[in-house]
Amino acid sequence: MTTFTETRIKIPMFSPSRVWTIATGTMTQLVRMKTFYFLLVFAVLVAAIGNIDIKSASSVSQLETIKKVSFGTMDIFAWLYAIVATALLIPRDLEDRTLYTILSKPVRRIEYLIGKLLGVLVLIAASLALMFTLCLLMLAYKQSGFIADEIKMLQAAPNVTTAEIEEQVKLIQRQGVRPELAVAALASFLKSSVVAVMTILISTFASSSLFTIITSIFFFLIGHAHGMMTDFWLHKTEGNLIIRMLTKVFKLLIPDFQLFSFSEGIVIGAEVVPRVVWSMGFLTGGYLFVFLLISLMIFLYKEF
Amino acid sequence: MPSKLPNWLKIVLILAAFGLVRSPVENSLRRKMNTAGMLLPTPGHSAMAQMGQSALMGMLGGLRTLVATGYLLDSYRHFDNADWDANRKSLLLATYLEPTEESHWVDLVWHRGINAPAWLETRARLPEIEKRILYHEYTRDAIELGEAGLKNLPKSVEIRKQMAEVYREKIKDPCGTAKMYKEMLGLEGAPMYANRFYGYFLSECPGKEKEGYDHLVNLYWEGSHNHLPTLIKKILVLQEELDIPVPLWIREKDPDAQKQINRRIKKPKPLPGGIVIP
Repeated sequence: MTTFTETRIKIPMFSPSRVWTIATGTMTQLVRMKTFYFLLVFAVLVAAIGNIDIKSASSVSQLETIKKVSFGTMDIFAWLYAIVATALLIPRDLEDRTLYTILSKPVRRIEYLIGKLLGVLVLIAASLALMFTLCLLMLAYKQSGFIADEIKMLQAAPNVTTAEIEEQVKLIQRQGVRPELAVAALASFLKSSVVAVMTILISTFASSSLFTIITSIFFFLIGHAHGMMTDFWLHKTEGNLIIRMLTKVFKLLIPDFQLFSFSEGIVIGAEVVPRVVWSMGFLTGGYLFVFLLISLMIFLYKEF
Repeated sequence: MPSKLPNWLKIVLILAAFGLVRSPVENSLRRKMNTAGMLLPTPGHSAMAQMGQSALMGMLGGLRTLVATGYLLDSYRHFDNADWDANRKSLLLATYLEPTEESHWVDLVWHRGINAPAWLETRARLPEIEKRILYHEYTRDAIELGEAGLKNLPKSVEIRKQMAEVYREKIKDPCGTAKMYKEMLGLEGAPMYANRFYGYFLSECPGKEKEGYDHLVNLYWEGSHNHLPTLIKKILVLQEELDIPVPLWIREKDPDAQKQINRRIKKPKPLPGGIVIP
């Protein structure tokens, strides 16, 4: 006679290994979408901008241009990728019915959300690291060339002292490879993390990927511009009370993405304040926590 | 007991609570980043009005540095075409977008104060009166733009250097030149020659000759590191021009005279075969 005994497997409330499994699955899914081709475009762009010979521009200006274009493109890639990749994930899992398979297993919904977000963030980090390396290589190559040319030119000129040559070299070095540039890349990562978690939140109640992408871009633009728009409206309406209230509501509900654009200042040579960078890291952590919590609140009650 | 609040209300409340917590933190971070120059200041309303639609969208999308670079590249194109007004507009927009970027201001003053007047000087067909009016307009504008730059970057040595060049080379105003060199003194990164140049140009400024002379003499007595031919020559000329009592004169030979003597006593190099041509 066969007897059946009920076996109860204790499922932990939260399992990092399950999260990591979902994250790696997400990475594979995104890599298969061939989004990394963007890196080729980036490489071509960096090579092109590095080889543009602007005759009327000084070597310092040329280095600055390479930096600004490269880091600007890195920033666009990071936030755009965060929006598009994240917006595609949940609807695609729904379409492929993968979501049902995952959720029918002992996987909690929060693990699923964190896993998806982690997958996107790891890919963004890897892409940013690659682009950053490419950009540094180009900068280092151009910087050494400019310095050699400058020294040659100044040595040939009459009445130029060694101190003056050193001063000029320092000026070029200031616009070349600096450790602070890594913080600029980190700033792009922090910004794209907040964008990704905001997109996850939208995608938990959105009806389609397209809706998620458009709404996320819209919120991103508002989040970027509400400081400027507030100034503008208050200036136009001479501090109208209703406008003031409206702008406060915007500020409370939408992330301030302008604050995350501190890579712009660093790229053009501003000094990095480590305490501020740490604070920005904690702020990003706060956004991730609160937005994931809200996403979970919606996702828990979502019927599939 | 289940909560009676609907889910959407809970979400709005969480968002608002988070907003209330992060608002002061964000405001404080913004202030700190603005002070450190990590965050670029908001462009003025006039800048937004002058920008094209796509540039404005780019800026709102967080691509300020890219848009500014676009304007900068545009300014190079206008420079190549000697379209000075378009060059000015592009560079000015770049400064609106990145007001703390020193090189934009320096470029603006350089193009407006040096290149545009130099281009005018080569225009043979332009009537003389028009040339003079434009010359005056360009150089004055360069100085005004430099002053606007200094409002944004009060510690900038490079903008002052460029303004000094405009005053010296194009406006031929020794007083203005001296003012720029004086302002450089004590600033980080000021060139070593700034102190001497301040004295040279102050001594050429009408009514300030004696002040300039005193400054140069003080430099001379500071030590032998300042005993440069130009400084000595300048003091020798000034002490005669300003009727300085002879006991206060510096006891130096005229460097130009010394140079002439050196030239005279310089032995000619022997030609191959040891032939010397006197």
